[in-house]
Amino acid sequence: MGKGRENNLPTHYVQIDDKLCNGCVLCMKACPTKAIRVRNGKARIRGVCIDCGECIRACPRGAVKAITTVQDAARMKPYTILSSSPVLYTQFGEEVTPNDILLALRKVFRHVYDQAYVNELFNVATEFYIRERRETEEEGWPLISPICPVVNRLIAYRFPQLFKNILPLIPPREIAAREVRRRLYCESVFKTEEFGIYHLSPCSAKMISIKEPLFLNSSYLDGALGINEVYEEIKKFIGKDNSNIMIHRSGGVGIWWGMSGGEIAGLDSGKYLAVSGMPETIKYLEMIEMGLLGNIEYVEFRACSEGCIGGPMTAVDKYEAKHVLQKLVRTYGVRKKVDYSQARKAYREGWFLADRKTDIPPHRSGTLSISEAIQRQERVEEVYRLLPKKECGICGSPDCRTFAEDVVDGEADLDDCPIHKSRDRKVKIVHEG
Amino acid sequence: MPQLTKTFPIKARDFIRAGEVSIQIQGLLKTIGFEPALIRRVSICAYESEMNVVMHGGDGTLTLNVDPSVILIEVKDDGPGIENIELAFQEGYSTASKEYREMGFGAGMGLPNIKKSADTVEIRSQKGGGTYLKMCFLLSRGDGQGTGK
Ligand code: SF4
Ligand code: SF4
Repeated sequence: MGKGRENNLPTHYVQIDDKLCNGCVLCMKACPTKAIRVRNGKARIRGVCIDCGECIRACPRGAVKAITTVQDAARMKPYTILSSSPVLYTQFGEEVTPNDILLALRKVFRHVYDQAYVNELFNVATEFYIRERRETEEEGWPLISPICPVVNRLIAYRFPQLFKNILPLIPPREIAAREVRRRLYCESVFKTEEFGIYHLSPCSAKMISIKEPLFLNSSYLDGALGINEVYEEIKKFIGKDNSNIMIHRSGGVGIWWGMSGGEIAGLDSGKYLAVSGMPETIKYLEMIEMGLLGNIEYVEFRACSEGCIGGPMTAVDKYEAKHVLQKLVRTYGVRKKVDYSQARKAYREGWFLADRKTDIPPHRSGTLSISEAIQRQERVEEVYRLLPKKECGICGSPDCRTFAEDVVDGEADLDDCPIHKSRDRKVKIVHEG
Repeated sequence: MPQLTKTFPIKARDFIRAGEVSIQIQGLLKTIGFEPALIRRVSICAYESEMNVVMHGGDGTLTLNVDPSVILIEVKDDGPGIENIELAFQEGYSTASKEYREMGFGAGMGLPNIKKSADTVEIRSQKGGGTYLKMCFLLSRGDGQGTGK
Protein backbone atom coordinates (compact mmCIF):
# COMPACT_ATOMS: atom_id res chain seq x y z
CA MET A 1 0.00 0.00 0.00
CA GLY A 2 2.26 2.77 1.17
CA LYS A 3 1.88 6.35 0.10
CA GLY A 4 -0.29 6.03 -2.94
CA ARG A 5 -3.00 4.81 -0.58
CA GLU A 6 -5.20 7.91 -0.73
CA ASN A 7 -5.37 8.35 -4.50
CA ASN A 8 -5.54 4.66 -5.38
CA LEU A 9 -8.41 3.72 -3.10
CA PRO A 10 -11.06 1.64 -4.77
CA THR A 11 -14.66 2.53 -3.98
CA HIS A 12 -16.61 0.32 -1.66
CA TYR A 13 -20.24 -0.26 -0.79
CA VAL A 14 -19.77 -0.94 2.89
CA GLN A 15 -20.48 1.95 5.21
CA ILE A 16 -19.96 2.72 8.88
CA ASP A 17 -22.68 4.64 10.68
CA ASP A 18 -20.96 7.15 12.98
CA LYS A 19 -24.00 7.44 15.21
CA LEU A 20 -23.91 3.74 16.08
CA CYS A 21 -20.15 3.19 16.04
CA ASN A 22 -18.52 3.40 19.49
CA GLY A 23 -14.97 2.94 18.23
CA CYS A 24 -14.35 -0.55 19.59
CA VAL A 25 -11.79 -2.46 17.53
CA LEU A 26 -13.82 -5.47 16.43
CA CYS A 27 -14.43 -4.59 12.77
CA MET A 28 -10.85 -3.38 12.40
CA LYS A 29 -9.56 -6.70 13.75
CA ALA A 30 -11.85 -8.69 11.46
CA CYS A 31 -10.95 -6.97 8.19
CA PRO A 32 -8.81 -9.31 6.06
CA THR A 33 -7.28 -6.49 4.02
CA LYS A 34 -6.57 -4.30 7.07
CA ALA A 35 -8.63 -1.51 5.55
CA ILE A 36 -10.11 -0.15 8.79
CA ARG A 37 -8.64 2.29 11.31
CA VAL A 38 -10.18 3.79 14.42
CA ARG A 39 -9.55 7.51 14.44
CA ASN A 40 -11.04 9.98 16.92
CA GLY A 41 -13.12 7.23 18.42
CA LYS A 42 -14.80 6.15 15.17
CA ALA A 43 -14.03 3.36 12.74
CA ARG A 44 -13.07 4.50 9.24
CA ILE A 45 -12.48 2.57 6.03
CA ARG A 46 -9.17 3.92 4.77
CA GLY A 47 -7.43 1.13 2.90
CA VAL A 48 -8.31 -1.30 0.13
CA CYS A 49 -11.80 -2.60 0.90
CA ILE A 50 -13.01 -5.61 -1.08
CA ASP A 51 -16.60 -5.50 0.22
CA CYS A 52 -16.32 -8.88 1.92
CA GLY A 53 -18.62 -8.00 4.79
CA GLU A 54 -16.42 -9.41 7.58
CA CYS A 55 -16.82 -6.07 9.35
CA ILE A 56 -20.62 -6.30 9.06
CA ARG A 57 -20.52 -9.66 10.82
CA ALA A 58 -18.06 -8.46 13.44
CA CYS A 59 -19.90 -5.32 14.60
CA PRO A 60 -22.03 -6.04 17.67
CA ARG A 61 -23.86 -2.71 17.35
CA GLY A 62 -25.02 -3.04 13.76
CA ALA A 63 -23.07 0.05 12.79
CA VAL A 64 -21.64 -1.44 9.60
CA LYS A 65 -23.96 -1.85 6.65
CA ALA A 66 -23.79 -2.67 2.97
CA ILE A 67 -25.26 -0.10 0.64
CA THR A 68 -27.88 -1.69 -1.60
CA THR A 69 -30.56 -0.53 -3.97
CA VAL A 70 -33.25 -1.01 -1.34
CA GLN A 71 -31.86 1.77 0.81
CA ASP A 72 -32.51 3.92 -2.19
CA ALA A 73 -35.93 2.48 -2.98
CA ALA A 74 -37.13 5.67 -4.60
CA ARG A 75 -34.69 5.09 -7.40
CA MET A 76 -35.95 1.62 -8.23
CA LYS A 77 -37.58 1.49 -11.62
CA PRO A 78 -41.39 1.08 -11.75
CA TYR A 79 -41.19 -2.37 -13.32
CA THR A 80 -38.87 -4.60 -11.41
CA ILE A 81 -37.52 -7.89 -12.56
CA LEU A 82 -35.81 -9.92 -9.93
CA SER A 83 -33.28 -12.70 -10.14
CA SER A 84 -32.43 -14.43 -6.95
CA SER A 85 -29.44 -16.28 -5.65
CA PRO A 86 -30.45 -19.87 -4.82
CA VAL A 87 -29.60 -19.03 -1.21
CA LEU A 88 -33.12 -17.59 -1.00
CA TYR A 89 -34.51 -21.13 -1.34
CA THR A 90 -32.84 -22.12 1.90
CA GLN A 91 -34.26 -19.33 4.06
CA PHE A 92 -37.84 -20.43 4.75
CA GLY A 93 -37.46 -23.89 6.26
CA GLU A 94 -37.64 -27.31 4.67
CA GLU A 95 -41.37 -27.35 3.96
CA VAL A 96 -41.41 -24.42 1.55
CA THR A 97 -40.45 -25.23 -2.04
CA PRO A 98 -38.36 -22.98 -4.31
CA ASN A 99 -41.44 -22.45 -6.45
CA ASP A 100 -43.51 -21.30 -3.44
CA ILE A 101 -40.77 -18.81 -2.68
CA LEU A 102 -40.59 -17.53 -6.25
CA LEU A 103 -44.37 -17.10 -6.31
CA ALA A 104 -44.23 -15.11 -3.08
CA LEU A 105 -41.38 -13.06 -4.46
CA ARG A 106 -43.52 -12.30 -7.49
CA LYS A 107 -46.13 -10.74 -5.23
CA VAL A 108 -43.59 -8.33 -3.84
CA PHE A 109 -41.72 -7.59 -7.05
CA ARG A 110 -43.56 -7.96 -10.31
CA HIS A 111 -41.41 -10.34 -12.26
CA VAL A 112 -39.01 -12.99 -11.12
CA TYR A 113 -36.97 -15.71 -12.72
CA ASP A 114 -35.09 -18.76 -11.55
CA GLN A 115 -31.38 -18.15 -11.62
CA ALA A 116 -30.58 -21.67 -10.42
CA TYR A 117 -31.34 -22.90 -13.94
CA VAL A 118 -28.80 -20.51 -15.43
CA ASN A 119 -26.26 -21.80 -12.90
CA GLU A 120 -26.64 -25.22 -14.48
CA LEU A 121 -26.12 -23.79 -17.97
CA PHE A 122 -22.98 -22.16 -16.65
CA ASN A 123 -21.76 -25.53 -15.33
CA VAL A 124 -22.07 -26.98 -18.82
CA ALA A 125 -20.16 -24.05 -20.30
CA THR A 126 -17.40 -24.52 -17.70
CA GLU A 127 -17.12 -28.18 -18.66
CA PHE A 128 -16.76 -27.25 -22.34
CA TYR A 129 -14.17 -24.62 -21.56
CA ILE A 130 -12.04 -26.87 -19.35
CA ARG A 131 -12.19 -29.69 -21.90
CA GLU A 132 -11.00 -27.43 -24.72
CA ARG A 133 -8.26 -25.97 -22.57
CA ARG A 134 -6.93 -29.35 -21.45
CA GLU A 135 -5.98 -30.06 -25.05
CA THR A 136 -4.02 -26.86 -25.57
CA GLU A 137 -2.59 -25.59 -22.30
CA GLU A 138 -0.15 -27.04 -19.86
CA GLU A 139 0.47 -23.83 -17.92
CA GLY A 140 -1.86 -21.50 -16.13
CA TRP A 141 -3.74 -24.09 -14.05
CA PRO A 142 -5.80 -24.08 -11.93
CA LEU A 143 -8.63 -21.98 -13.29
CA ILE A 144 -10.46 -19.94 -10.68
CA SER A 145 -14.23 -19.57 -10.46
CA PRO A 146 -15.37 -16.06 -11.45
CA ILE A 147 -18.53 -16.17 -9.30
CA CYS A 148 -17.56 -14.53 -6.00
CA PRO A 149 -16.97 -10.79 -6.46
CA VAL A 150 -14.99 -10.60 -3.23
CA VAL A 151 -12.53 -13.22 -4.42
CA ASN A 152 -12.21 -11.41 -7.75
CA ARG A 153 -11.35 -8.19 -5.92
CA LEU A 154 -8.99 -9.91 -3.56
CA ILE A 155 -7.16 -11.29 -6.58
CA ALA A 156 -7.11 -7.92 -8.34
CA TYR A 157 -5.51 -6.16 -5.37
CA ARG A 158 -3.43 -8.82 -3.68
CA PHE A 159 -2.79 -11.53 -6.27
CA PRO A 160 -2.81 -9.64 -9.59
CA GLN A 161 -0.72 -12.27 -11.35
CA LEU A 162 -3.55 -14.75 -10.77
CA PHE A 163 -6.05 -12.54 -12.55
CA LYS A 164 -5.44 -14.46 -15.76
CA ASN A 165 -6.42 -17.70 -14.01
CA ILE A 166 -9.99 -16.52 -13.52
CA LEU A 167 -12.33 -18.48 -15.80
CA PRO A 168 -13.21 -16.03 -18.60
CA LEU A 169 -16.95 -16.77 -18.64
CA ILE A 170 -19.60 -14.26 -17.58
CA PRO A 171 -21.25 -15.22 -14.28
CA PRO A 172 -24.81 -16.61 -14.42
CA ARG A 173 -26.40 -13.59 -12.74
CA GLU A 174 -25.14 -11.36 -15.55
CA ILE A 175 -25.98 -13.81 -18.34
CA ALA A 176 -29.51 -14.13 -17.04
CA ALA A 177 -29.92 -10.37 -16.76
CA ARG A 178 -28.61 -9.89 -20.28
CA GLU A 179 -31.10 -12.39 -21.74
CA VAL A 180 -34.05 -10.85 -19.88
CA ARG A 181 -32.96 -7.41 -21.00
CA ARG A 182 -32.70 -8.47 -24.63
CA ARG A 183 -36.06 -10.13 -24.57
CA LEU A 184 -37.68 -7.07 -23.05
CA TYR A 185 -36.13 -4.83 -25.67
CA CYS A 186 -37.28 -7.07 -28.50
CA GLU A 187 -40.78 -7.56 -27.20
CA SER A 188 -40.90 -3.93 -26.05
CA VAL A 189 -43.36 -4.63 -23.29
CA PHE A 190 -42.05 -1.66 -21.31
CA LYS A 191 -40.20 1.44 -22.20
CA THR A 192 -36.55 0.81 -21.46
CA GLU A 193 -36.29 3.50 -18.83
CA GLU A 194 -39.18 1.95 -16.97
CA PHE A 195 -37.75 -1.41 -16.07
CA GLY A 196 -34.93 -2.41 -13.82
CA ILE A 197 -33.32 -5.80 -13.25
CA TYR A 198 -32.17 -6.45 -9.69
CA HIS A 199 -30.31 -9.23 -8.02
CA LEU A 200 -31.52 -10.53 -4.69
CA SER A 201 -28.52 -11.88 -2.85
CA PRO A 202 -26.82 -12.63 0.46
CA CYS A 203 -23.78 -10.71 -0.66
CA SER A 204 -22.36 -7.36 0.42
CA ALA A 205 -20.28 -7.26 -2.75
CA LYS A 206 -22.91 -7.65 -5.48
CA MET A 207 -23.50 -3.91 -5.50
CA ILE A 208 -19.89 -3.11 -6.35
CA SER A 209 -19.79 -5.91 -8.91
CA ILE A 210 -22.73 -4.17 -10.60
CA LYS A 211 -21.60 -0.58 -10.25
CA GLU A 212 -17.94 -1.20 -11.05
CA PRO A 213 -17.60 -4.59 -12.73
CA LEU A 214 -14.11 -5.98 -13.15
CA PHE A 215 -14.79 -8.06 -16.25
CA LEU A 216 -17.68 -6.42 -18.05
CA ASN A 217 -17.71 -2.96 -19.55
CA SER A 218 -20.96 -2.47 -17.78
CA SER A 219 -23.27 -4.71 -15.82
CA TYR A 220 -26.64 -5.89 -17.16
CA LEU A 221 -28.11 -5.50 -13.69
CA ASP A 222 -29.44 -2.26 -12.26
CA GLY A 223 -28.85 -3.00 -8.61
CA ALA A 224 -28.80 -5.48 -5.78
CA LEU A 225 -30.87 -6.12 -2.68
CA GLY A 226 -29.93 -8.06 0.42
CA ILE A 227 -32.09 -11.10 1.23
CA ASN A 228 -32.36 -9.91 4.84
CA GLU A 229 -33.72 -6.55 3.71
CA VAL A 230 -36.83 -7.96 2.08
CA TYR A 231 -37.15 -11.21 4.00
CA GLU A 232 -40.12 -10.32 6.19
CA GLU A 233 -42.04 -8.96 3.26
CA ILE A 234 -41.54 -12.10 1.18
CA LYS A 235 -42.48 -14.26 4.14
CA LYS A 236 -45.91 -12.62 4.34
CA PHE A 237 -46.76 -13.92 0.89
CA ILE A 238 -45.51 -17.49 1.23
CA GLY A 239 -48.36 -19.84 0.40
CA LYS A 240 -50.68 -17.00 -0.67
CA ASP A 241 -50.48 -17.76 -4.39
CA ASN A 242 -52.44 -20.80 -5.47
CA SER A 243 -51.77 -20.56 -9.18
CA ASN A 244 -50.03 -23.49 -10.78
CA ILE A 245 -47.35 -21.50 -12.54
CA MET A 246 -43.95 -23.18 -12.42
CA ILE A 247 -41.16 -20.63 -12.25
CA HIS A 248 -38.55 -22.89 -10.72
CA ARG A 249 -36.93 -25.09 -13.34
CA SER A 250 -33.56 -26.20 -12.01
CA GLY A 251 -32.44 -29.54 -10.68
CA GLY A 252 -30.69 -29.98 -7.36
CA VAL A 253 -27.37 -28.83 -8.77
CA GLY A 254 -28.49 -25.28 -9.55
CA ILE A 255 -29.66 -24.90 -5.95
CA TRP A 256 -26.54 -26.54 -4.54
CA TRP A 257 -24.60 -23.51 -5.78
CA GLY A 258 -25.80 -21.76 -2.62
CA MET A 259 -23.20 -23.56 -0.55
CA SER A 260 -19.52 -24.31 -0.83
CA GLY A 261 -18.86 -27.23 -3.16
CA GLY A 262 -22.12 -26.77 -5.04
CA GLU A 263 -20.63 -25.23 -8.14
CA ILE A 264 -18.08 -28.00 -8.68
CA ALA A 265 -20.72 -30.60 -7.82
CA GLY A 266 -22.30 -29.63 -11.14
CA LEU A 267 -19.16 -30.40 -13.15
CA ASP A 268 -18.31 -33.74 -14.69
CA SER A 269 -15.21 -35.57 -13.52
CA GLY A 270 -11.98 -33.64 -13.18
CA LYS A 271 -9.64 -32.35 -10.52
CA TYR A 272 -11.58 -29.68 -8.70
CA LEU A 273 -11.42 -28.06 -5.28
CA ALA A 274 -13.95 -26.02 -3.31
CA VAL A 275 -12.47 -23.59 -0.80
CA SER A 276 -14.56 -21.31 1.39
CA GLY A 277 -13.98 -18.71 4.08
CA MET A 278 -11.61 -15.77 3.99
CA PRO A 279 -8.53 -17.23 5.74
CA GLU A 280 -8.63 -20.41 3.64
CA THR A 281 -9.22 -18.43 0.45
CA ILE A 282 -6.14 -16.31 1.13
CA LYS A 283 -4.07 -19.36 2.03
CA TYR A 284 -5.01 -21.23 -1.14
CA LEU A 285 -4.42 -18.20 -3.35
CA GLU A 286 -0.97 -17.93 -1.82
CA MET A 287 -0.37 -21.59 -2.60
CA ILE A 288 -1.50 -21.18 -6.21
CA GLU A 289 0.75 -18.18 -6.51
CA MET A 290 3.69 -20.33 -5.45
CA GLY A 291 2.77 -22.81 -8.15
CA LEU A 292 1.73 -25.49 -5.67
CA LEU A 293 -1.67 -26.44 -7.08
CA GLY A 294 -0.77 -26.87 -10.76
CA ASN A 295 -2.30 -30.35 -10.77
CA ILE A 296 -5.78 -28.98 -9.96
CA GLU A 297 -8.01 -27.81 -12.80
CA TYR A 298 -10.62 -25.62 -11.17
CA VAL A 299 -10.99 -24.00 -7.78
CA GLU A 300 -14.35 -22.79 -6.57
CA PHE A 301 -13.51 -20.03 -4.11
CA ARG A 302 -16.16 -18.46 -1.91
CA ALA A 303 -15.15 -15.69 0.47
CA CYS A 304 -17.88 -16.59 2.94
CA SER A 305 -17.44 -19.59 5.17
CA GLU A 306 -19.67 -22.47 3.90
CA GLY A 307 -20.30 -20.49 0.70
CA CYS A 308 -23.05 -17.99 -0.06
CA ILE A 309 -25.39 -19.39 2.63
CA GLY A 310 -22.83 -17.77 4.95
CA GLY A 311 -23.19 -14.39 3.24
CA PRO A 312 -23.56 -11.32 5.47
CA MET A 313 -27.02 -10.46 4.13
CA THR A 314 -28.82 -13.72 4.76
CA ALA A 315 -31.80 -14.00 7.11
CA VAL A 316 -31.13 -17.36 8.78
CA ASP A 317 -28.12 -19.09 10.28
CA LYS A 318 -25.85 -20.72 7.72
CA TYR A 319 -26.03 -24.19 9.27
CA GLU A 320 -29.79 -24.09 9.34
CA ALA A 321 -29.67 -23.05 5.68
CA LYS A 322 -27.26 -25.88 4.93
CA HIS A 323 -29.68 -28.38 6.41
CA VAL A 324 -32.50 -27.09 4.19
CA LEU A 325 -30.23 -27.00 1.17
CA GLN A 326 -29.16 -30.59 1.60
CA LYS A 327 -32.78 -31.61 1.74
CA LEU A 328 -33.53 -29.63 -1.44
CA VAL A 329 -30.68 -31.34 -3.25
CA ARG A 330 -32.07 -34.73 -2.25
CA THR A 331 -35.55 -33.72 -3.44
CA TYR A 332 -34.53 -32.25 -6.79
CA GLY A 333 -31.77 -34.74 -7.49
CA VAL A 334 -28.01 -34.57 -7.71
CA ARG A 335 -28.20 -33.56 -11.33
CA LYS A 336 -28.78 -30.72 -13.73
CA LYS A 337 -32.01 -30.22 -15.59
CA VAL A 338 -30.50 -28.23 -18.43
CA ASP A 339 -30.96 -29.11 -22.03
CA TYR A 340 -27.42 -30.03 -23.13
CA SER A 341 -27.91 -29.27 -26.80
CA GLN A 342 -29.26 -25.82 -25.94
CA ALA A 343 -26.29 -25.26 -23.65
CA ARG A 344 -23.82 -26.41 -26.28
CA LYS A 345 -25.36 -24.14 -28.88
CA ALA A 346 -25.24 -21.18 -26.52
CA TYR A 347 -21.60 -21.90 -25.72
CA ARG A 348 -20.64 -22.15 -29.40
CA GLU A 349 -22.39 -18.87 -30.08
CA GLY A 350 -20.23 -17.20 -27.45
CA TRP A 351 -23.10 -16.62 -25.04
CA PHE A 352 -20.84 -17.03 -22.03
CA LEU A 353 -17.75 -15.37 -23.39
CA ALA A 354 -19.02 -12.15 -24.93
CA ASP A 355 -18.31 -8.64 -23.68
CA ARG A 356 -15.57 -9.61 -21.33
CA LYS A 357 -12.83 -7.07 -20.70
CA THR A 358 -9.37 -8.52 -20.91
CA ASP A 359 -7.14 -5.86 -19.39
CA ILE A 360 -5.47 -6.75 -16.16
CA PRO A 361 -5.49 -4.24 -13.31
CA PRO A 362 -2.17 -2.63 -12.36
CA HIS A 363 -0.08 -4.60 -9.91
CA ARG A 364 1.58 -1.74 -8.07
CA SER A 365 -0.76 -0.13 -5.60
CA GLY A 366 1.76 2.38 -4.32
CA THR A 367 3.62 5.12 -6.10
CA LEU A 368 7.04 4.48 -4.58
CA SER A 369 10.02 3.31 -6.57
CA ILE A 370 11.59 0.00 -5.57
CA SER A 371 14.38 1.86 -3.78
CA GLU A 372 11.98 4.03 -1.84
CA ALA A 373 9.82 1.05 -1.03
CA ILE A 374 12.77 -0.87 0.42
CA GLN A 375 13.69 2.19 2.45
CA ARG A 376 10.16 2.47 3.73
CA GLN A 377 10.19 -1.21 4.63
CA GLU A 378 13.43 -0.75 6.57
CA ARG A 379 11.85 2.02 8.61
CA VAL A 380 8.77 -0.11 9.18
CA GLU A 381 11.00 -2.86 10.60
CA GLU A 382 12.72 -0.29 12.82
CA VAL A 383 9.47 1.02 14.26
CA TYR A 384 8.10 -2.51 14.56
CA ARG A 385 11.05 -3.49 16.74
CA LEU A 386 10.07 -0.75 19.23
CA LEU A 387 6.50 -1.98 19.58
CA PRO A 388 5.27 -4.29 22.35
CA LYS A 389 3.65 -6.82 19.90
CA LYS A 390 0.56 -7.19 22.05
CA GLU A 391 -1.60 -6.72 18.93
CA CYS A 392 -4.24 -4.91 21.01
CA GLY A 393 -5.45 -2.34 18.49
CA ILE A 394 -5.77 0.49 21.02
CA CYS A 395 -3.57 2.66 18.80
CA GLY A 396 -6.33 2.55 16.18
CA SER A 397 -4.46 0.29 13.74
CA PRO A 398 -5.33 -3.40 13.40
CA ASP A 399 -1.99 -4.84 14.58
CA CYS A 400 1.51 -3.75 15.55
CA ARG A 401 2.93 -4.28 12.06
CA THR A 402 0.26 -2.21 10.35
CA PHE A 403 0.69 0.44 13.05
CA ALA A 404 4.40 0.56 12.23
CA GLU A 405 3.46 1.12 8.57
CA ASP A 406 1.00 3.83 9.53
CA VAL A 407 3.66 5.59 11.62
CA VAL A 408 6.13 5.49 8.75
CA ASP A 409 3.48 6.74 6.33
CA GLY A 410 2.70 9.64 8.66
CA GLU A 411 -0.82 8.44 9.34
CA ALA A 412 -0.25 7.66 13.00
CA ASP A 413 2.01 8.85 15.77
CA LEU A 414 4.29 6.50 17.69
CA ASP A 415 2.76 7.91 20.89
CA ASP A 416 -0.63 6.53 19.83
CA CYS A 417 0.66 3.24 21.25
CA PRO A 418 -0.05 3.56 24.98
CA ILE A 419 2.29 0.74 25.95
CA HIS A 420 5.21 2.17 24.06
CA LYS A 421 4.46 5.59 25.48
CA SER A 422 4.44 4.49 29.13
CA ARG A 423 7.51 2.34 28.63
CA ASP A 424 9.27 5.27 27.08
CA ARG A 425 8.50 7.45 30.12
CA LYS A 426 9.78 4.84 32.51
CA VAL A 427 13.05 4.74 30.67
CA LYS A 428 13.31 8.50 30.83
CA ILE A 429 12.56 8.69 34.56
CA VAL A 430 15.15 6.07 35.36
CA HIS A 431 17.56 7.97 33.22
CA GLU A 432 16.98 11.34 34.89
CA GLY A 433 16.78 9.94 38.41
CA MET B 1 21.80 2.13 -1.02
CA PRO B 2 18.75 0.98 0.94
CA GLN B 3 18.96 -2.57 2.13
CA LEU B 4 16.67 -4.76 4.11
CA THR B 5 17.76 -7.84 6.00
CA LYS B 6 15.48 -10.19 7.87
CA THR B 7 16.12 -13.55 9.44
CA PHE B 8 13.44 -16.15 10.01
CA PRO B 9 13.85 -19.28 12.13
CA ILE B 10 12.75 -22.63 10.63
CA LYS B 11 11.94 -25.58 12.83
CA ALA B 12 12.60 -29.12 11.68
CA ARG B 13 9.54 -31.35 11.37
CA ASP B 14 7.15 -28.51 12.12
CA PHE B 15 4.67 -29.39 9.38
CA ILE B 16 1.93 -27.21 10.78
CA ARG B 17 3.91 -24.04 10.16
CA ALA B 18 5.85 -25.32 7.17
CA GLY B 19 5.61 -22.79 4.35
CA GLU B 20 4.92 -19.84 6.67
CA VAL B 21 8.33 -18.28 6.12
CA SER B 22 7.91 -18.36 2.34
CA ILE B 23 4.47 -16.82 2.62
CA GLN B 24 5.88 -14.01 4.79
CA ILE B 25 8.64 -13.39 2.30
CA GLN B 26 6.16 -13.36 -0.56
CA GLY B 27 4.06 -10.79 1.31
CA LEU B 28 7.05 -8.60 2.07
CA LEU B 29 8.22 -8.58 -1.55
CA LYS B 30 4.69 -7.76 -2.66
CA THR B 31 4.48 -4.82 -0.27
CA ILE B 32 7.69 -3.49 -1.72
CA GLY B 33 6.19 -3.91 -5.16
CA PHE B 34 8.52 -6.20 -7.10
CA GLU B 35 7.34 -7.71 -10.37
CA PRO B 36 5.10 -10.79 -9.95
CA ALA B 37 7.40 -13.00 -12.04
CA LEU B 38 10.35 -12.21 -9.80
CA ILE B 39 8.32 -12.69 -6.62
CA ARG B 40 7.23 -16.03 -7.97
CA ARG B 41 10.80 -17.19 -8.61
CA VAL B 42 11.89 -16.10 -5.15
CA SER B 43 8.93 -17.67 -3.36
CA ILE B 44 9.34 -21.01 -5.14
CA CYS B 45 12.96 -21.14 -3.97
CA ALA B 46 12.12 -19.96 -0.48
CA TYR B 47 9.42 -22.59 -0.25
CA GLU B 48 11.56 -25.45 -1.57
CA SER B 49 14.48 -24.61 0.67
CA GLU B 50 12.25 -24.10 3.68
CA MET B 51 10.71 -27.52 3.08
CA ASN B 52 14.15 -29.05 2.71
CA VAL B 53 15.01 -27.85 6.20
CA VAL B 54 11.67 -28.96 7.63
CA MET B 55 12.08 -32.42 6.11
CA HIS B 56 15.77 -33.18 6.25
CA GLY B 57 17.47 -30.48 8.26
CA GLY B 58 17.91 -29.89 11.91
CA ASP B 59 16.67 -26.48 12.96
CA GLY B 60 17.74 -23.69 10.67
CA THR B 61 17.35 -20.10 9.58
CA LEU B 62 16.43 -18.34 6.39
CA THR B 63 17.87 -14.88 5.82
CA LEU B 64 16.40 -12.56 3.27
CA ASN B 65 18.41 -9.69 1.92
CA VAL B 66 16.74 -7.18 -0.35
CA ASP B 67 18.37 -4.41 -2.25
CA PRO B 68 17.17 -2.61 -5.36
CA SER B 69 19.31 -4.69 -7.68
CA VAL B 70 19.38 -8.14 -6.15
CA ILE B 71 17.51 -10.39 -3.75
CA LEU B 72 19.55 -12.83 -1.76
CA ILE B 73 18.36 -15.78 0.29
CA GLU B 74 20.60 -17.78 2.57
CA VAL B 75 19.40 -20.91 4.29
CA LYS B 76 21.41 -22.62 6.98
CA ASP B 77 20.59 -25.71 8.95
CA ASP B 78 22.43 -28.00 11.34
CA GLY B 79 20.92 -31.16 9.89
CA PRO B 80 22.61 -34.28 8.57
CA GLY B 81 23.93 -32.60 5.41
CA ILE B 82 23.76 -33.76 1.82
CA GLU B 83 25.90 -36.75 0.87
CA ASN B 84 26.01 -36.26 -2.88
CA ILE B 85 25.29 -32.75 -4.07
CA GLU B 86 25.43 -33.58 -7.81
CA LEU B 87 22.80 -36.25 -7.35
CA ALA B 88 20.65 -33.92 -5.26
CA PHE B 89 20.42 -31.52 -8.17
CA GLN B 90 18.97 -34.22 -10.41
CA GLU B 91 15.26 -34.25 -10.99
CA GLY B 92 13.48 -37.08 -9.28
CA TYR B 93 16.34 -37.91 -6.96
CA SER B 94 15.06 -37.99 -3.42
CA THR B 95 16.24 -39.15 -0.06
CA ALA B 96 12.91 -38.44 1.57
CA SER B 97 11.67 -41.27 3.73
CA LYS B 98 8.54 -43.25 2.86
CA GLU B 99 6.67 -41.39 5.57
CA TYR B 100 7.36 -38.02 3.94
CA ARG B 101 6.57 -39.25 0.47
CA GLU B 102 3.21 -40.43 1.71
CA MET B 103 2.57 -36.89 2.92
CA GLY B 104 3.14 -35.69 -0.64
CA PHE B 105 6.61 -34.24 -0.06
CA GLY B 106 9.97 -35.33 -1.29
CA ALA B 107 9.21 -35.85 -4.98
CA GLY B 108 12.82 -34.96 -5.61
CA MET B 109 11.96 -31.60 -7.14
CA GLY B 110 13.43 -29.37 -4.42
CA LEU B 111 16.96 -28.57 -5.56
CA PRO B 112 16.27 -28.96 -9.32
CA ASN B 113 13.42 -26.45 -8.94
CA ILE B 114 15.70 -24.08 -7.10
CA LYS B 115 18.31 -24.39 -9.82
CA LYS B 116 15.72 -23.53 -12.44
CA SER B 117 14.32 -20.49 -10.62
CA ALA B 118 17.33 -18.80 -9.04
CA ASP B 119 20.01 -16.95 -11.01
CA THR B 120 22.87 -18.38 -9.02
CA VAL B 121 22.90 -21.13 -6.46
CA GLU B 122 25.67 -21.94 -4.08
CA ILE B 123 25.51 -24.94 -1.82
CA ARG B 124 27.93 -26.14 0.81
CA SER B 125 27.28 -29.30 2.69
CA GLN B 126 29.02 -32.16 4.38
CA LYS B 127 27.59 -35.37 5.61
CA GLY B 128 26.91 -34.71 9.26
CA GLY B 129 27.89 -31.07 9.03
CA GLY B 130 24.73 -29.20 8.10
CA THR B 131 23.86 -27.42 4.87
CA TYR B 132 24.34 -23.87 3.63
CA LEU B 133 22.39 -22.74 0.59
CA LYS B 134 22.69 -19.34 -1.04
CA MET B 135 20.45 -18.16 -3.85
CA CYS B 136 20.65 -14.92 -5.84
CA PHE B 137 17.91 -13.32 -7.87
CA LEU B 138 18.90 -10.53 -10.20
CA LEU B 139 16.31 -7.85 -10.73
CA SER B 140 17.26 -7.21 -14.31
CA ARG B 141 16.58 -10.70 -15.57
CA GLY B 142 13.63 -10.20 -17.88
CA ASP B 143 11.13 -9.91 -15.05
CA GLY B 144 10.09 -6.54 -16.42
CA GLN B 145 11.94 -4.72 -13.67
CA GLY B 146 13.28 -1.35 -14.68
CA THR B 147 11.74 -1.56 -18.13
CA GLY B 148 9.19 1.05 -17.22
CA LYS B 149 6.47 -1.55 -17.38
S1 SF4 C 1 -15.98 -5.10 3.74
FE1 SF4 C 1 -14.23 -6.45 4.17
S2 SF4 C 1 -12.50 -5.43 3.20
FE2 SF4 C 1 -14.12 -3.90 3.38
S3 SF4 C 1 -13.70 -2.85 5.32
FE3 SF4 C 1 -15.18 -4.49 5.74
S4 SF4 C 1 -13.92 -6.20 6.39
FE4 SF4 C 1 -12.53 -4.76 5.35
S1 SF4 D 1 -19.33 -16.27 -0.97
FE1 SF4 D 1 -21.20 -15.69 -2.02
S2 SF4 D 1 -22.23 -14.30 -0.58
FE2 SF4 D 1 -20.10 -14.46 0.07
S3 SF4 D 1 -19.05 -12.76 -0.89
FE3 SF4 D 1 -18.79 -14.52 -2.27
S4 SF4 D 1 -20.52 -14.44 -3.70
FE4 SF4 D 1 -20.98 -13.07 -1.99
